[in-house]
Amino acid sequence: MENLQSGDLTIEVADVDGVFKCWWKGKSNERNPPEILKPWFEKLLAAVGEKGTIEMHFEKIEHFNSSTITALIRLIQICRKSNIKLAMVYDQTLKWQRLSFDALRVFEKNDELFSLRFA
Amino acid sequence: MSVIQDEIGFSIDMTVRNEWRNVDLLRTSVQNCFTAVFADVDGCHAIAMVTGELLENALKYGDWLGGDRAMFRLRVHGTKNNVVTVSVQNPLKESDANAQALLTAIEWINSFPKPETAYRARMMQIAQSEEDAAPSRLGLVRIAFEGNCRLAARVDNSTVIVTAALDLSAA
Repeated sequence: MENLQSGDLTIEVADVDGVFKCWWKGKSNERNPPEILKPWFEKLLAAVGEKGTIEMHFEKIEHFNSSTITALIRLIQICRKSNIKLAMVYDQTLKWQRLSFDALRVFEKNDELFSLRFA
Repeated sequence: MSVIQDEIGFSIDMTVRNEWRNVDLLRTSVQNCFTAVFADVDGCHAIAMVTGELLENALKYGDWLGGDRAMFRLRVHGTKNNVVTVSVQNPLKESDANAQALLTAIEWINSFPKPETAYRARMMQIAQSEEDAAPSRLGLVRIAFEGNCRLAARVDNSTVIVTAALDLSAA
């Protein structure tokens, strides 16, 4: 699985003991982020496989626009349908990250397929 | 918390070229300006986010073919009472469906007692909708929620002005 590098955004990915960890860095500020993210997510999901685990780390990202949040909502839905565990890790000391990610708790269910946690 | 302490306040008022890269240039410029003046890093980030989202909406839904590009304008204005107003003006056909969609979206957001409730409701709508079905308009409700803003819009003389008022003292 290759890293994503597009514009100001980099997502570095590594398979750590079977968990695909993805570190978001820079800024996701493209006009249409899903255009870039969706194909990369599809490759990631194929690499992870059913019942796999993904950790998305946002602690180091400087900024993302609302279109990126839309892409993340789609990812949550796809992972759940594909029976892939998805965790999003953020920096709760940054107010903007706390607001953005705490709001995504609306998608947490008792199935443990989607979770949010602090770094 | 006292963010704006002087009696004069501050003001940014400028025309903007309708290029996508200008969104991030202005967003970061506004953030850097306010960080240089105020100690409230979270408040500065909120002002910058609001600026970026409003500029993005203007570029996505403005009339850049027939409209007057000189009408693309950013204004950031603050007063000593800790309220910062971010306004973005852009050309828009009054008959354009985007104008009505914008006004409807803002009315919908303002109908919720708390912007957080509107934000969560919009996220659920997006999750349940078909992909690429329609513009998500998540940016506006994000402004209301994360920026703790009251939104307003006025369509007039082939332009639209969207205004977000941030009450930094309520943060």
